[in-house]
Parts: sequence; C-alpha cells; structure tokens
Amino acid sequence: MAKRHKSLQEQPLLWIAPLVLLLLAFYLYPMIDVARLSFSNATLLRNPSKYGLMQYTSLFSSSDFGQMIVVTLKYVAGSLFFQVLFGLLIAVLVHEGKKRKVPGAVLTRSVVLSCWIIPAPAIGIIWKIILSEFDYGIANHLIGSFFDQHLAFLSNERLAIFSVIVANIWCGTAFSMLILYSGLQQIPESLYEAAVVDGATEFQKFRYLTLPLLRPFLFTDLSLATIYTFNSFGLIMSLTAGGPGRSTEVLAMSVYRTIFDRMNLGRGAALSMVLLVVNLVIAIVYNKSFFKKTQA
Amino acid sequence: MALPTSKKQISVQKLFIFILYCFIITLFGGPVLWLISLSLRTTDQLFTNPPQLLPSPLSIEAYKYIFRGNEIIGFLLNSLKVSGATCCLSLLIGIPGAYALSRFRIRFKREIMIVILLFKMISPLIIVVPMYRYFSKIGIVGSHMSAILVYTAAQVPFIAYLLKGFFDSIPYSIEESAMMDGCSRVGSLLRIVLPISASGLFSAFIFVFLMSWSEFVIPFILLDSTKLMPLSVGIYLFQESRASVDTHIVSAITTIAIIPPIILFWFLQKYIVQVLTAGAVKE
Repeated sequence: MAKRHKSLQEQPLLWIAPLVLLLLAFYLYPMIDVARLSFSNATLLRNPSKYGLMQYTSLFSSSDFGQMIVVTLKYVAGSLFFQVLFGLLIAVLVHEGKKRKVPGAVLTRSVVLSCWIIPAPAIGIIWKIILSEFDYGIANHLIGSFFDQHLAFLSNERLAIFSVIVANIWCGTAFSMLILYSGLQQIPESLYEAAVVDGATEFQKFRYLTLPLLRPFLFTDLSLATIYTFNSFGLIMSLTAGGPGRSTEVLAMSVYRTIFDRMNLGRGAALSMVLLVVNLVIAIVYNKSFFKKTQA
Repeated sequence: MALPTSKKQISVQKLFIFILYCFIITLFGGPVLWLISLSLRTTDQLFTNPPQLLPSPLSIEAYKYIFRGNEIIGFLLNSLKVSGATCCLSLLIGIPGAYALSRFRIRFKREIMIVILLFKMISPLIIVVPMYRYFSKIGIVGSHMSAILVYTAAQVPFIAYLLKGFFDSIPYSIEESAMMDGCSRVGSLLRIVLPISASGLFSAFIFVFLMSWSEFVIPFILLDSTKLMPLSVGIYLFQESRASVDTHIVSAITTIAIIPPIILFWFLQKYIVQVLTAGAVKE
C-alpha cells in the first residue's frame, strides 16, 4: 500500500496535469474557437451559420482596417520610442546618482516604478482628468500659462492619439527603466575605469561601453514592451474608448468594439487572430534563443 | 589647482542630477498627487480658475459620499476575493507543475515549456470572448468562479515559468539525500523545496495579487452584473456614469483603487522587482 502511494507520487503526469489541463481548457481551446469563429458569419446574438473566408476578405479590403493599422502603429511606435528613451535616461541618471551619492536616487526610482503598478483603467481616468477642458484639467492650465492656447486633448481627432500615447508613456517608462537599470548594474565598474585610463569622454563611455553592453536588455525591454503596448486595453478604454470617431481605435480596442459595439463576432474574431499573430510573432522572436538552445 | 575645479565639477554634476530628479519626480508623481488633491475638494472647488494646487479647506465630502453607500465597498470586497482566490489557485496549480518541469523527466517537456513561454504573452482579450460564450452556456457568468478560473489561467504560465526558475536554482542533491532517508516526493517538496524558495513564493504571491487587482479586460467582458465587478472595472463604470461636477468623487474612488497597490509596492518593492527582472531577463 505504502509502496503504491509512493509510486503515484513519482508520476510526473499527476504533478503537471492541473497546469496542462488549465492551459488546454482556458487558452488552447478558446484560441481554436476564436479561429473557428473568425471563419464564420457569427454575431454576438447569432451562432455561425456559414463558414468561409468572408471576414478576412472584407476586413483586409476595408479602409477602416487600414486606418486602424495606422493608428495602432502610431500608438506602438510613439509609446515605445519615448518609453525606452525615457527609461534609459532615468535608469542612467539613477545609476549614476547612486554611485555619486546624490540624494533622491532611490526615491526617483520608486516614484517612476509606482506608475507601473497603477491599474490601467485608473491611469486612463487620471489622464482624462488632467487633460480635461474643464478647470480641473491642469494640463491646459499649464499650457495656457506659457502659450495662449486651449487644447481639446481628448475630443480633437488629431490630438486624441497623442494624449493616449502620453498616458501610455507615463506608465510604461517604469518597465523600461527597471529592465535597463538591472542591465546597468551588471556592467562591471572596472570596464569604465579602464576606459577612463584610456582617456574616454563621458559620451564615448556611453556610446562604446554602456550601449553595446545593454543590448540584450534593450532587446528584452523592446520585445516585452511591444507586446504590452499591442495588448493595452484598459487604459484606452477609460481614456477615450477608441474615440473620437475611430481616432484612437488600436487593434485590441478594435477587437472589443467590433464584437460588442458593432455586434460582429466573426469579424471581431478575425481581428483577434491578427492580434494573436502579432503576439505570437513577437513572443517567438523574443524566445528564439530558447528554441535554438533546446533544438541543439 | 586641478583638484578644487574637479571637486567643483563633481558638485555641479551632482546638483544637475538632483535637479533632474526633482523634475522626474514631479512628472511621474504629479498626476497621482493631482488626483488625490482633487479628491479632497467640494464641487465648487473643482471649478476655480486658476486651479488651486491644494484646496483650502480640505474636504472629505467625496470620501464620505463613497462610503455612505455600499457599492464601492462591494467593489473592494470583490477585488479582494477574486485576487486572493487567484493567488491561491495559481500557486496551487503552478507549484506542482513547476516542480515537475524542474525535476522530472517528462515527455513533451520542451513542448510544454514552449506553450508556457508563448501563452504568457497572449492577450487575455483573445481568450475571454469564447470563454464568455461557454460560461453563459453552462451558466456561471453570474458568479466569480468564472472570473477566478480565467484570471488563474492568465497568471499560471508566468508563475510556472518563474517558479521553475526558482526551483532549478535549488540543488537536487539536497532532495536526493532526504529521499534516501525515506522522505517522500511530496514531503521533499513541502519540507525542503518550498521553505528554501519561500521568498520567491512570496514574491510570486504578491505579484499575482497586484496583477489580478489591476486586471480589467477579463472581468469587464466576463462578468455580467455591476454587483460582481472588482474595483478596477468599478472605477471605470463609475466614471462613465458621472458628470464632470462629480469629478471629486471619481477622483476619490480612483484614489482608493490605486492606494493599496502603491502601498504594497512601496513596502515590498524588493520582492516585486525580483519577480519582474527574473521573469524578463534571461540568463
């Protein structure tokens, strides 16, 4: 009896079954179902009655799709560029400040990181208030004190995408800073000392030592931040809900609006597949070292 | 001669960095402080031109209003319940799974690892729509159970990956000698592996809690009544239903939603940073 008990414990399948079953039931099966729905004419209220490629052909030939892709790319590129740039700047500042014992280094790092921990819908609400055209919209007040301007950040179609990007940079910078900061900490100080002996300037040290050594961290940061940005939903939902018009309707937002506002489940599922492909491609690129290692 | 100038240079550098710190702190901390400041006003104080940075007198009218009804307390309790249950369930499933991936020879181990690595990056938005359809068929859309299961599924790939990393760093020989002395496999996990990785487990727990607290898309789509919503969705619904004269109340409820994660983060920063960097930066 005891022996049998023990051999059961040595069954790896029993250990891993809950994990695998959960992933199969809640990830793989729904993914297959989304794929199936994307080849159908289902709406939110009607089950599929016809299968075919119609969702994809009508999707890819519509001008809305092209516009949505442009909005998404603007959002992702704008967010990523500044997020990584600011993340790098702050990481370097905190790192250098800590070395030189400048007061406030740890506080700066903690304050920036705190923005990352705030729930996405709350970030949307905070920026909706700041960018408001009412008196409590402090951004307009600050701009007004320098220029004689009043900006409709959220109701002007051309400004809205800019506002969404600003809010996303505000919370996303933290992640880049964290990854790049942990990279900076791993660069041995002796390398810099050797560079100083060779007469390198601060800029040269940064350009020829720091940046190349940070490359793997920049890669990690860029891949993960790209996925997070493509997937971001709560922030845009509470800030602009994709509007005005479709000016801030990025891919994830478009999936939601197509299914729940326009009731077109089939088309929304086709858009989900586009998002899924984006997610998978980046994930595969990011993990390619893993695939190589285990294949060898 | 050279020494004092370089000393002076260093202090100029330090001052420059310090000024930049102040600028960064204002930029990143300012929006949250503005939210808190707005939450401590009356309606009239919202609409002054120029806006007052700090209202005087401070008013707790908005907070009183919130806690008079039990809607917000309901949101808070839902958040605690769903996040807490997700933490427990994802560790309960993640620990044995990660242990098996770390210690046993398993067929399809590589495939399982690939699936975990890929799934932890897929947007829950993609899976939540079909989940909504199944759950309405089996009739659990109106309960927290459905949300907890999907939250767990969304967290488990990351947790399994993270814990496997922690377990891998514990030498197997410690377990082997214990098992030689008659310790069972489960005993070895409970008495050796888990205590050694206690700090990692705690980090994972806190991390899942924070992620679940912030989760928006899953409950937003999956749950069908306002009563069941966690605070993350609650603040959104509340904001949507209110006019601008109620901005102080919207600010107060948003403040309540962000204070717990920020406090947890400030006290447990070490653990959270450990998870984030362990999960992202590969050796």
